Amino acid sequence: MIEVKNVTKKYGKVVAVDNISFTIQDGEIIGLLGPNGAGKSTTMNMITGYIEPTEGTIIIDNYDISKRPKKAKKEIGYMPEGVPLYTDMTVKEFITYMAEIKKIDKKERKEKVEKIIEETGLKEVEKKITKNLSRGYKQRVSLAGALVGEPKILILDEPTVGLDPKQITEIRKLIKDLGKKHTIILSSHILSEVSQICQKVIIINKGKIVAIDTPENLENKVSNKNSLYVTVEDTENKIEKVTKKIKEITKIELIKENEDKTKEYLIESKLDTDLRKILFQEFAKENITIFEMKKADTTLEDAFMKLIEGGN
Amino acid sequence: MWAVIKKELKSYFTTPIGYVFIGVFLIAFSVSFYFTVIGYGNINFEYIYLSLPTILVLAFIIPLLTMRSIAEERKTGTEQLLLTSPLSITKMILGKFISATIIVIITEICTLMYFAIICHYGIPHITTALATMLGFLLFCMSYISFGILASSITENQIIAGIISIGFFIITWVLPDFNENLSGFSFINMFYKYTQGQIDIADTVTFITFTITCILLTITFMQRRKSVK
Repeated sequence: MIEVKNVTKKYGKVVAVDNISFTIQDGEIIGLLGPNGAGKSTTMNMITGYIEPTEGTIIIDNYDISKRPKKAKKEIGYMPEGVPLYTDMTVKEFITYMAEIKKIDKKERKEKVEKIIEETGLKEVEKKITKNLSRGYKQRVSLAGALVGEPKILILDEPTVGLDPKQITEIRKLIKDLGKKHTIILSSHILSEVSQICQKVIIINKGKIVAIDTPENLENKVSNKNSLYVTVEDTENKIEKVTKKIKEITKIELIKENEDKTKEYLIESKLDTDLRKILFQEFAKENITIFEMKKADTTLEDAFMKLIEGGN
Repeated sequence: MWAVIKKELKSYFTTPIGYVFIGVFLIAFSVSFYFTVIGYGNINFEYIYLSLPTILVLAFIIPLLTMRSIAEERKTGTEQLLLTSPLSITKMILGKFISATIIVIITEICTLMYFAIICHYGIPHITTALATMLGFLLFCMSYISFGILASSITENQIIAGIISIGFFIITWVLPDFNENLSGFSFINMFYKYTQGQIDIADTVTFITFTITCILLTITFMQRRKSVK
């Protein structure tokens, strides 16, 4: 369990993180979300004990990271931003070195390093110098380094940055699998990624927590209306008249006219009404053919933008 | 700590630094060996240690040994890996210091072959030779610890190197400007060892200086955690 209590971090006069508090339970996958410079990395660096908070306490599994760093750090595997590696070591040497500084028993070390190499799919490159690896492999090596010592908590700072789409899906899958055994905090500014992997999202902006919730709840929270995209064939232009009759509709807007003479409208109503059935019946009466009808989902993207702008 | 020592030693010998240090020192050592032993027919091992070529070369190769120790870790970000591991800062710094010291010890062992050659020409004074080697080790340890301190205050290895070279030269030439400062010269202290006397005061000074530098480095690293 990670408890962050009233943590503030100042760089001189600049406040990077401003009095944040949150608790992360065992086994959760948490996404730390925010625009660049919001304080994501600073927060992660404080949790890992790389930097000290100016005020407040961080407790990792009952150990205060500032007072009992050795015990607390043993529980954490950290993959820093920009994947720093020792460039003159081979993959195996690097992971072994990480195992050594994490004080893994000599008898088990070899076996555990082998296991991690297998798990992260590094077997074929284990004898290569890390300098010569592709970005995707470097990311894996860094992740492997974090995994050494079976830490309960994994902290991954932008784990998919700079990867190609195939590598991104691979790493995401790997993280999801790891989530079964570890508590994971990952930072990202890719929202779709966070909503796919994480059970809970912490949105940070300008050093402050804007929201903590599940991705679904966040999406629901910011939407205050029901929107539908409807594509219709309406040769006699009756739609305006019809929609005026339906009281539930709050707004109708022509989005575009297609080449096949169909028109796409955005129709909005209040949150508690579902227009789909009404539209279907009313349009049928007036000979308006519905070609397509779909709900316009508010995405995490919208939620994010709204919350951030709200904060401003 | 052992892990850090092992890793540092390995990296000294996977990069040219270890070879350059030992090689360049031995070249300088050979030059002064040639002049003192072959040229003047002197069989004093300590004269070779305390000669212009060896000291001059040391001014450049000790910083070479230490300049990247922390600066590079900081620059590449691997410092984060070390500082977020259960390894304490003290052990990390000590590991780096000890591995650099081991390189010096290896170099000293290499110089024993010159001692063997001298034995061919006559009987050198063994106690003086041993005292000289001890003095040399302490002398180098002081500069190594200062070099690591310099490396910890910047992320640019070149700057770290220049600071260390500057410090070496200043402590070397300072007594020439003012005799009152001769007490501060490490070379003068080292000189006494080459005379066969292990001066307690000098030994304590060397060790104190080394410990102070290491403690300062640890303090800097710790402080950076809260300032950074």
